[in-house]
This record gives sequence, C-alpha cells and structure tokens, in this order.
Amino acid sequence: MKRADRVFTIMLGLALASSAILLALLLTLVPRVEQLVARGAEDTADVVAALVLMLALCGISLGLVTLFRQLVATAVLIRGLVAQKIELPSSVVLAASGLDLDGRVDVVADARPFSFCYWFLRPRICLSTALVERLDPDELRAVLYHERYHLRQRDPLRQIVARYFAAGLYVVPVVDELLAFHTLQKEIEADQEAVRASGDVRSLASALYKLLPDADDVSLGLLVPVSPLSVTEARIDQLVAGRPLSLALSPLSVALSGGALVAAAVLVAVKGGASVAFETLPPLYAVPGLLVGPASLLFAAAVDGGLHQLRPLTQRLFS
Amino acid sequence: MAGERDNHGVSRPDLRRLRRPEKAEEKFLGPLETEVMARLWKRRSATVRDIVEDLAKTRELAYTTVMTIMVRLNEKGLLERTREGKTYVYRPSHTRDEHRARLSRDLVRGLVAEFGDAALAAFSAELDTVDATHRAALRRLAQKDTRETR
Repeated sequence: MKRADRVFTIMLGLALASSAILLALLLTLVPRVEQLVARGAEDTADVVAALVLMLALCGISLGLVTLFRQLVATAVLIRGLVAQKIELPSSVVLAASGLDLDGRVDVVADARPFSFCYWFLRPRICLSTALVERLDPDELRAVLYHERYHLRQRDPLRQIVARYFAAGLYVVPVVDELLAFHTLQKEIEADQEAVRASGDVRSLASALYKLLPDADDVSLGLLVPVSPLSVTEARIDQLVAGRPLSLALSPLSVALSGGALVAAAVLVAVKGGASVAFETLPPLYAVPGLLVGPASLLFAAAVDGGLHQLRPLTQRLFS
Repeated sequence: MAGERDNHGVSRPDLRRLRRPEKAEEKFLGPLETEVMARLWKRRSATVRDIVEDLAKTRELAYTTVMTIMVRLNEKGLLERTREGKTYVYRPSHTRDEHRARLSRDLVRGLVAEFGDAALAAFSAELDTVDATHRAALRRLAQKDTRETR
C-alpha cells in the first residue's frame, strides 16, 4: 500500500470513528434539548447540551454545504469545458497512444496552460490547448502519465469524500491536515509514476519547468474536487532529491482533535449531564468537570477547525 | 525617453515599459542605447570613436548619432565621462548587475508608492510560491538529463 493510500485509510478510519462518537453525542443530547424546549432552562446542563448540539449541527451543515458546492462547481466546470472542447490534436493522439486512455482525454481551447483529472466514477483527463502547444511530445506524454495515475486511482472521488469529512468534522482539525497531506502526496506519487513510465525524469521536469511561469496564475477559480497539475516546491524537492514529504501535523490540531473526541466521549458517558453518576456528584465539581470542561474543549476545537475551514472562503472573498 | 528624473539625476523607470516584449534593458532604453551600454559594460571604458568602430562591425552609424546617444546616456546618469586631451572617455556609472538592481529597486518603490498595501501583498504572495532555488533546481534537472540522453 502506498503512502498516500495509508494516509487516506488512516484519515477515513479517524473520520468514521470521530463521526460515530459525535453521532452518539448528538443522540445523547437531543433529549436534553427537548427538555430545555419543553420546560425552559432549569439547569446548566440543558443549556450546555443545546450549545453542543448546535455546534454539531453546524459541523454537519458545513460539510453538506461544502459537498454540494463542490458538486455544483464541478458540474459548472464540466459544462463550461465541454463548450470549449475541440477535436484531439494529432500531438495528443500520438502522446496518448498505448496509454490505455482511449476516449478519456479531452482538449479544450484555453489560453491558460493546465491539465487535470476530473469526474468521479469514470474520471477523464482534460488538457488545455495552451498546455498542448507549449509542451513537446515527450513532455506531453509525461503529463499524461501523471494524470493517468490520478485517473486510475479515482482520485477526484477520494478527494471529494475526504473533503466532505474534513468539512463536516471541523471539531477534529487533524482530519483537514491529513487531507492536505494526502492531496500533496498524491501529486508526488503521480510524479513518481510519470518518471517510472517515462524511463527518466527529464520529460516531466522539463514540462514542469515550462509551466513554471504560469504556476501561480493558472487558477480555474473553482473549489472543485479535481486534481490539477500544479508546480510546488515539495514536488520539485521530490523530483530533484527524492526527498519524501514529511507528515508534520500541527501539535495544536492534534491536541484539539484529541481533546474534542475525549470531551465528546465523556459527554456521551455522562449522557449529556443526565446520568446517575453525574447527578450524585457535588454540583461545583460535576458541572465544570464533566460538562463545561468537555464542552469547552469541543468549543475550542470547533473555533480552530471552523476558522481553518473558512480560510479558503475568506481568501477568495478578499482576493 | 519618457521618464521622470529622481534626485540623483537618473531616469526613473516607467512601469508601462514592463509590458514590452523586449529583453531586460530594452524595456527602459532604446535599441541603440542598449547596444552602446552593452559594449561599454564589456569594454569598461571607451571613446565615441571606439564605439563607432565597434558598432561598424555589424552596422554603419554616423559618429554624431553615436555621440548623441552617449551624451544622452551621460545625462541619464548611466555613463560617466572624463576629458582626456581633446576627447571624452566614457565609463558605465554602474555594472550591469548594479544597473538591474537599481532599476528593480526603483520599480518596487514606484509600485509601492502607487499601489501601497496591494503591491506589498503581491510581493509577499510571489515569495510564497516556488522560489528561485527550486526553479533553478528544476531547470538543471530538465537540462542535465537532456545532455545525458543525447
């Protein structure tokens, strides 16, 4: 199993475990909130339960909205591209021959040099005319090898699944960091495949070098779950020195994620403040220790994760 | 050349010239000025006659034309001159690298003065992307193997 696949499995496992804990918390809190609605705020536990429930619903909504936005953006992108699709130039037909990509490559008329893999169950490769014109046959073939890796791995589908969990589980920010690592690691593995299939590193390095002047400018302007060919320093490091990408999770994210999950588990254990154990404890200890404490941890993780999720949006709004 | 003068008597670069397709120096100098500067950077010092003879290898130019160009470059602060006997000997005021650094610095100052924070944000964004070391490493990789496989 490749490194990106291992990270994806860990991320999925963590996401599913976290979802299970948070779902259990949700089910535990619903009766407390019903009590709050029916009888008014009689004790702190009901209010805290309502706040935690609101937080969980925000997370789920954010995840669903993100997923929906990505699907819509992809549909819009595809429709726009199909309108610009041209007959495959002979250079592309030649470069793609023998790559088992029949009928899976599109060339679109666009002045920006780009290539990416898109669509979920049966992915396709899209190249722009600017990219095709700029690269020589060997370089074009290296780019196709790179994209073919994404296509065979169904990376667009993996991306959208991972992005859904990262957005929905914003109280577990480590999921988002694992997603970022997974995305970059996928690019590196696609590069390795292109180098292996090409027989040398020159074709891909030369293609990337030719795309460098536009590396910062080629933005399709959409948050779509596609795998665009981007030139990054980590990829160059890997090509030049074979330096593996290090998985450096932020200690704050790890602490907040762990804290949030433990907090959620504690809240489930004390049934959101309704358990017998909770009621028998002295109020001064029980309320801060078993309810407000865990809830605070959840809130702290939610604030950090929420800000992290909103960053791309705010960057787009203010750019 | 359309350009303002700064306190040091050197022409301030015009930002619109950056859009020109010519190579570096030609964005801010005329074609003949660029040729004269290139020869002076190579020779370090020369008289008008030296440059006329040098240029005569590729094109025929009147002595007065070259003299006008060199006087203009002197006025722009790009050339210094000292009288030796009856003639002037010209020398570049700065090396080519210093000249480019000076142009770049003035351009940056111009952009920051015109666009303020937006220019600074753009520079910062540029620094965040692929840096010069990585670009050079990628270029070497693309070129090195070309030679090896030929």
